[in-house]
Amino acid sequence: MSSTEFQLEDLTEVPGTDVEAALDPVEADGVYRDSRQCAALALTSSSSNLLLSPPTPRPKKG
Amino acid sequence: MEQSGTSTRLAGAVQGLTSELVSALRSGDRFRLAGTVAEGQGPGTTADPSLAAVRVVGADVVLPSVLLRCPPPAPDDLTVFGKAVHAYPPPVQAAPTSVWSYWAMRRALLRLDASLDGAWGDDTEPGAAWLDDAPWQFLTHQLAVLAALALPGEDCAVARAARRRPLDVARGFVRAVRRRDWLQAAGAGRWLVLLDDVPRTLGLDTGLEFVAQMGGEDARVALQVEAAQLMRTGVLV
Repeated sequence: MSSTEFQLEDLTEVPGTDVEAALDPVEADGVYRDSRQCAALALTSSSSNLLLSPPTPRPKKG
Repeated sequence: MEQSGTSTRLAGAVQGLTSELVSALRSGDRFRLAGTVAEGQGPGTTADPSLAAVRVVGADVVLPSVLLRCPPPAPDDLTVFGKAVHAYPPPVQAAPTSVWSYWAMRRALLRLDASLDGAWGDDTEPGAAWLDDAPWQFLTHQLAVLAALALPGEDCAVARAARRRPLDVARGFVRAVRRRDWLQAAGAGRWLVLLDDVPRTLGLDTGLEFVAQMGGEDARVALQVEAAQLMRTGVLV
């Protein structure tokens, strides 16, 4: 989006409650890495190993 | 979670504004807030999501002038910045993150426009007791939300809380990466750049690159990583 488009778009009133919600966001739900992403991290990691430690146990369902 | 129409528009405006900031940080070009944000209909107006977006992005709106060797914001840029501050003060029961974001904006404005000194009344620093004894997960989340306070030489209660707990912030960074919460990871990473006693085994540089690679399509993530890397490499004024 260009600056001009950004400038011309959306002259709708934004309630303060929406602003406050954006300033105090809840933590996003966790999504656990899959093996492809682990592999990507391994390829980009040279000196670190902390991020490659065993994955956090997934929450049990049911 | 379903968003209202205005919150969706606000989120889009935040992305647009943040994207412009990322471009300015990468290019070194002067960032013009007045050219990016429609100014609405006068002081106190809330008629434009892009003005609300300035309030949400907070003090980072002037980040290029803080981190780069570029001229300070022009008077009309500061006018827009001031309008956002005036238009969206935190309500009485506001969350600490909102109160601190507001305080950071006011202070940034005062630093950039000395003529405002004393014009806005009480500028007392808010309390940070809500971070005392906070679990490391919550601490990291709150610090990430307040990443605009993570600046070289910053001395405020939130920065001091972060400095007291580098290991907890490092743990929070790792947790955020593993949960694929790229925005939290980027904000925590920006704080870690400034903290002493961060474990070398964390691999912060690699971690920041990974966060940028995985979450950089979100301009808010890109902004935090860009800020962290600029501070890390010392490309500062």
